Amino acid sequence: MVKRLSDMPEVEAHHLRRIECPTFDDTPALPGKPLSQRRVALISTAGLHRRGDRPFRPGDGSYRVIPAGTPARDLVMSHISVNFDRTGFQQDHNVAFPIDRLRELVEQGVVGSMAAMHYSFMGAFPPDAAEPHARHLAGLLKQDAVDAALLVPV
Amino acid sequence: MGALGHFLEREGIATASISLVREHTETIRPPRALWVTFELGRPLGIPDDPDFQRRVLRATAELLERSDGPLIVDYPEDVTEEADFTGWACPINLAPQASDTLTAEIDRLATWHDQIVARTGRTTTGVSGLDMPAAGALLSAALAGDLPAAQALKEAVDDLRAYYLEAASAFPDPGTAKKRKAWLWDETLFGRALLDLQPRLAASDDPQHRILGNLTLIPATERHRLAKA
Repeated sequence: MVKRLSDMPEVEAHHLRRIECPTFDDTPALPGKPLSQRRVALISTAGLHRRGDRPFRPGDGSYRVIPAGTPARDLVMSHISVNFDRTGFQQDHNVAFPIDRLRELVEQGVVGSMAAMHYSFMGAFPPDAAEPHARHLAGLLKQDAVDAALLVPV
Repeated sequence: MGALGHFLEREGIATASISLVREHTETIRPPRALWVTFELGRPLGIPDDPDFQRRVLRATAELLERSDGPLIVDYPEDVTEEADFTGWACPINLAPQASDTLTAEIDRLATWHDQIVARTGRTTTGVSGLDMPAAGALLSAALAGDLPAAQALKEAVDDLRAYYLEAASAFPDPGTAKKRKAWLWDETLFGRALLDLQPRLAASDDPQHRILGNLTLIPATERHRLAKA
């Protein structure tokens, strides 16, 4: 179990402390809305994509498209970092990219609907490199009538 | 991750994120975050446990009903370390012998990798576009002094790493994921090869080689092995 950095083995905590986190003057906050009225996309930062798509590279702030019907056997991970577990994803993609769980929440009526397209960035991006891609992505999400995204790191 | 929440929310897409490192999330202050105490790489907690994963995802999604961000909610469930009932103290003997080669080791694992692909219907190898013997040949060439482009080498190494760990999960007594990762570094020629390759990459004139050697080849938790090597 991972707790605070102070509870982690020092070698791991040291690595995580060295990651530079961006700061923002304020946090935008759109009004909340019942989940059952939302159309939701998954956005991973695990460096996921379909086999054959361009792998991620150091400094890459772009995203890859993962259509909702992508079979699990087609998903690969090219995140550049080696400092997180991949065996969970190798065993069950949903532990990092919970597409089947989102589908079940829609079937149960908990979530209104799910997007036709889902996305993955590679989390080691410098924020400046990702911002233009994220702004572009927001427009594409709206085209798909998506009004909310679940952001899933590794 | 948290930065994406800022960018998307500002453009009109409401966001809720899972947080694996609370200190990072406290700094970035995204609109809505659910902090979980799970291992890095496993944001939904437990592989092959749909009920657990669904609870985590639902708790994250329910934050989308709230307007009082920035907020960080602590998820109440923990994951205890995978129990090891196997006593896998002495894994299948793939230990290197004097005459053994990386090529032979990769070949020997193929039947185990076939097993896991047959069982699960998938593999996460295939980023590099190379088959495993070719990925091994690229690594062997690098060890012999012929360093390929960093990106090609990185993709081949990551494919091999996935191949080894997937193959080991098909062993008759596969042990825990933690044991299998220790096996990769303690027992295989592949692990040895990565440790041998690191100083060559770190000393290269190519900055991309140095990034690979210093940051993205050996996990932080395994770098102590470099001193021994």
